[in-house]
Amino acid sequence: MIVVESAGITDVGRKRKSNEDSLFVDDDLGLYMVADGMGGHRAGEVASELVVETIQAYITQIHRNSSRAESETADSALSKEANHLLASIHLANKGVHQIAQSNDAYRGMGSTVSAAYLTDQTVIAANVGDSPIYLIHDSTIELLSVTHNVVTEQAAIDPDAADKLGEDVKFLLTRAMGVEESVRPDICEVPIFRDDVLVISSDGLSDLASPEEILDVVEEQSSATACQKLIEMANGRGGHDNVTVVVLRIKDTKKRGGITKLRTRVARRIIHFLEKYI
Amino acid sequence: MPTLTLKFKDNVVGEYTLAPGKSVTIGRMEANDVVIENLAVSGHHAKIDSVGNGYLLTDLQSKNGSFVNSDPVNSHWLQHDDEILIGKHVLVFAYAEGEEQPAPASAPAGGLDQTMVMDTGQYRKMVEKIGKKPSDSTQDMAGEPTGVLSYLGGGEGEVVIDKKLFKIGKSASSDMIVSGLLVGQTSATISKRPNGYSLSYVEGIAKPKVNGSAVRESVMLKEFDVIDIGSTKLQFVLKS
Repeated sequence: MIVVESAGITDVGRKRKSNEDSLFVDDDLGLYMVADGMGGHRAGEVASELVVETIQAYITQIHRNSSRAESETADSALSKEANHLLASIHLANKGVHQIAQSNDAYRGMGSTVSAAYLTDQTVIAANVGDSPIYLIHDSTIELLSVTHNVVTEQAAIDPDAADKLGEDVKFLLTRAMGVEESVRPDICEVPIFRDDVLVISSDGLSDLASPEEILDVVEEQSSATACQKLIEMANGRGGHDNVTVVVLRIKDTKKRGGITKLRTRVARRIIHFLEKYI
Repeated sequence: MPTLTLKFKDNVVGEYTLAPGKSVTIGRMEANDVVIENLAVSGHHAKIDSVGNGYLLTDLQSKNGSFVNSDPVNSHWLQHDDEILIGKHVLVFAYAEGEEQPAPASAPAGGLDQTMVMDTGQYRKMVEKIGKKPSDSTQDMAGEPTGVLSYLGGGEGEVVIDKKLFKIGKSASSDMIVSGLLVGQTSATISKRPNGYSLSYVEGIAKPKVNGSAVRESVMLKEFDVIDIGSTKLQFVLKS
């Protein structure tokens, strides 16, 4: 079992009247999420909450019923758990899309989603939109999510063209949950080690704090204090948007390396030998 | 629905209606929605997209530029009565009387304050404009190079890293099976991350080596790195 010390805080910020972000933290499921909703008149809140709840419900279902048959749409490039997470995101997208289509008050609503899902030795990071998922390993910070906004996607294709984009277009999302009938999440699965830290946030933080600043805060503090400090940092710099931060620190992994494992194997062989010949 | 009135020296020479979800292109060439036949106008000069409940003017890197109320713009959220100058022609953007229009304060100017989604159609057009296509498949990285492990010893040919988490070890369920006395059931994994491929040690007394040094946790793989796991020697290569 992976032992995790986790915390999550969401804050309305300094400028907005309502909080459209949602978060989810559950060490038993090993599931952590941030969703940043959009759409007026509380629709953004509805969208982000629906996304988080759908994914949570789906994964809970999987945990309860682990013998569940593999979905036919499973992607062979992904592990079983990664396929589960992907399926839950697709389901959440459909849910938000349907409600947005069928109810005038919710028309045009949508949300980002960034989820980290722990397996025995890895973390699966999946995202749609611009809420970052950072992995801190050995004092370096790395983005595990792919930022789905115009400037980032353009920069990957043609950095010169990205420079010429107007400020008002740069940060438009190129993908979001609930906007279209289907969605294309980015997903990756990487091994995790003891003392690794994952940080998931909304752009309310990442617009105002660099990855290096986040690294500095997180390295020094417990997960709960780190969340608090990062929220304070964003609010201290204007807090123009809702701010949500989830921090999880890997305290221990199940990994039984080399010697112990060999020892148990040798012991098993000896027992086997004894049983057979004596 | 808002309208665009095309004027040349105070004479109205055309009128166009904008509709939510539709884009309007402006330029000298016939293929545009608004055609302005004047040499000062580029073939594809500018466009107006409906984004959210507003309209966004984007200059398509035209030779002589686009101006709104005399200011040069790359992109601009249009407000009622904005005058767009293209060459010597003026396009007046106006909402119909009584029509709901985004308040200047709530217009997504500045972008940062508003989370908005760019319509996929528009985005594709934008990307096509610079001649590249965004990738289409779900998982993949079309256009991005794929990692391949090429055997230098202990096997022949090459193996494509076709999993997000590719397992190498003695276990029969590994994506690549290797042998060696002290090699783990899963000795190493290679994961595809947003910034490239990394190799991580998982279990076993014999640690995998990259370019001769044992990997204790994870290392990013560079093209042509040599990987040793047990008696197997591999080279990491990128193929498009």
